[in-house]
Amino acid sequence: MSLRLSLVATTGLALWVGACQLDKDQKPARPVVHYSLSAATTALGDDGEPVIPSSAQAGIEGSLEMLFGTPQDPQFQLLPEWKDDGFDPNWPQYAKGDSGSGEVDPAELLEDNKLYWRRQLAAIDAGLWDRVFVQDFTPDLRADWNDLCANTPVEARNDEFKKAARELFEGYYPKLSASAELYRQHCLHCHGPEGGGDGPTAPFLNPRPRDYRHGTFKFTAVGKSVPRREDLYRILDEGVTGTSMPSFRRFSRAQLEGLVDYVRLLSMRGMVERSLVATYKEEETLTSGDTLDAYAEVWEKWQKADSKVLTYNGEVPAPTAETIAKGRELFMDAKRGNCYSCHGPEGRGDGASAFALDPETGEVKPTYKDDWGNEILPRNLRLGIFRGGRRPIDIYRRIKYGIAGGPMPEAAASLSNDDIWHLVHYVGSLSERPQHAKAADHGDAHAPEKH
Amino acid sequence: MRYLFALLLLLVPILGVWTFVEADRWQLWFPENVSSFGGEIDGLFNLIMYMVAFTFIVTEVALAWFVFKYSANRPGKGVFTHGSHKLEMIWTAIPAVALLFIAFSQMETWAKVKFESNFPKTGEYTKEKPIAELWASQFDWRVRYPGDDGVIGTVDDLERSYEFVVPVDTDVVFHLRSRDVIHSFFVPEFRLKQDALPGHTIPVWFRAEKEGIYDLVCAELCGWGHYKMSGRMTVVSKEEFAKRMAEIKAEWYSNGKEQG
Repeated sequence: MSLRLSLVATTGLALWVGACQLDKDQKPARPVVHYSLSAATTALGDDGEPVIPSSAQAGIEGSLEMLFGTPQDPQFQLLPEWKDDGFDPNWPQYAKGDSGSGEVDPAELLEDNKLYWRRQLAAIDAGLWDRVFVQDFTPDLRADWNDLCANTPVEARNDEFKKAARELFEGYYPKLSASAELYRQHCLHCHGPEGGGDGPTAPFLNPRPRDYRHGTFKFTAVGKSVPRREDLYRILDEGVTGTSMPSFRRFSRAQLEGLVDYVRLLSMRGMVERSLVATYKEEETLTSGDTLDAYAEVWEKWQKADSKVLTYNGEVPAPTAETIAKGRELFMDAKRGNCYSCHGPEGRGDGASAFALDPETGEVKPTYKDDWGNEILPRNLRLGIFRGGRRPIDIYRRIKYGIAGGPMPEAAASLSNDDIWHLVHYVGSLSERPQHAKAADHGDAHAPEKH
Repeated sequence: MRYLFALLLLLVPILGVWTFVEADRWQLWFPENVSSFGGEIDGLFNLIMYMVAFTFIVTEVALAWFVFKYSANRPGKGVFTHGSHKLEMIWTAIPAVALLFIAFSQMETWAKVKFESNFPKTGEYTKEKPIAELWASQFDWRVRYPGDDGVIGTVDDLERSYEFVVPVDTDVVFHLRSRDVIHSFFVPEFRLKQDALPGHTIPVWFRAEKEGIYDLVCAELCGWGHYKMSGRMTVVSKEEFAKRMAEIKAEWYSNGKEQG
């Protein structure tokens, strides 16, 4: 009995192991993945037929793949005129000049990577080769590391090998495909494979993750145009407080710049898609000329944005009780600031014009929707949470140039820069804790906070 | 056969102890301690570990010995026994005393680290005048330093995400707060862990004794993005700290020309 049992068990085990080996050998190559078209493009009309016929949809999909590649191999198509300038967006480009993040200094990159790889570098220095984990990192680095290791067995790894290994990690720079991999690991679950803000964790979030495909980003230093590289970088670096977007500063500078590249690619892809859909709806046909024109037009917008930055020429004034009081007046002035109409007289985000009564249901609902169709409420200014940043210049930009994609307007022409700074200080002071409030008596300003 | 089983069982304490001895060499042990009270906490940990190790070895060797001595094919006949009241009293009393010993031996360290009455009172930073407020939220850390008025909660506060810069060899007190759910502040190198509760302002103190960059992690499951919630604890010299604060302030009052 027991002999038969063990025979059966042994045969079963052998078959299972054999099957596993077989399976391993016949593992299919990684399937080719494509970007999908947006829901707006594939939408059905009233008659149940797609508004854009499926043949035209296939055309749009093909054009987009030609211009932007696939998720595994994303790349920008080169425009003819770029070849003369030697411009290739598939390699990281940085804004020149002293505005924004500027050119990346190779030494800075080295320091950054040292910081990011510090565990790896420590393991390399200590000669603990099995503790150099590369499987979590980008395929390029993995491949280079494997090449390096394949040539030198563990016993033969001397100081020279250690130096080469360090150099590999320190001098590493992500390519678009590598950044796409990083995006898939850390961004896709909210922002979606095409940057449509429709990843699997997106439904749990309020506010919803940004949909890049409009090319509209709220917190920029360029007003209501597409953002600069630095604007996107700042969001990755600082996070967006009050939302689910965390700071990603644990990645190196090089990796974040790579992610900016990839977000730009996704955003441009979405913009070209929207533009092609609009053209088709107008002309009922699409030519390859239309595609390239749309592509060049979108690129022009992004390149223009990079050279543009709205700054304030002067020193940022410090808040005083006087400027705060002036700001309060402007805040309540219906002809000039008119902030209270949406943000409420106390800045609680409960102004009368931000809400409307639905005459049918009797419900009070937000008046405004943002560009993505979500209901939007004015910011409660008393919480001290400012998504675009709480720095005076951040609030200044929001007031002066408005917020792209939402109902926050540009400041009225009658407001001077000084007026706007008064408003900035007043808005900042709204979230002061009562016991420390500047406008109030200073007597107990240093009293301990009650717990 | 009884030799084989006894030997196999004896391998358990031998291999068990060996992994602990080797762990340090393979960097599988604790990260380096850099806080002033971390040594005491490691001492307590080691004390408990040695007590457990002693018990582990004694019981495992006894187990192997019993398997060897009382194996089924030994000569002679087994004897029925009802047990020993005295023995049961002993093996209840010894752990009870050991537990009491552990409880009393940690009291001083716990009070030193966690009791507000033992917080630094004389240094630059005190419970009433903390170096900063550390805000935990889903899913990042933000530090709020006081502005020129030295008070947190006013219009001139400076704010940075992700990185908490503190001076070395200084008693640092900060206020830990949460915007949404329960988070937990944990810096393994400091041997310091403290939950952040929404609605509470919890003072925390430490004294870092070595400059460096340490991981700040959230140690309380705070939602689906818990794994993303990382930060950086940067310990710098006092001169460097003043420089970093000036940098943060300059960036705060930037007019947008230099930084994004």
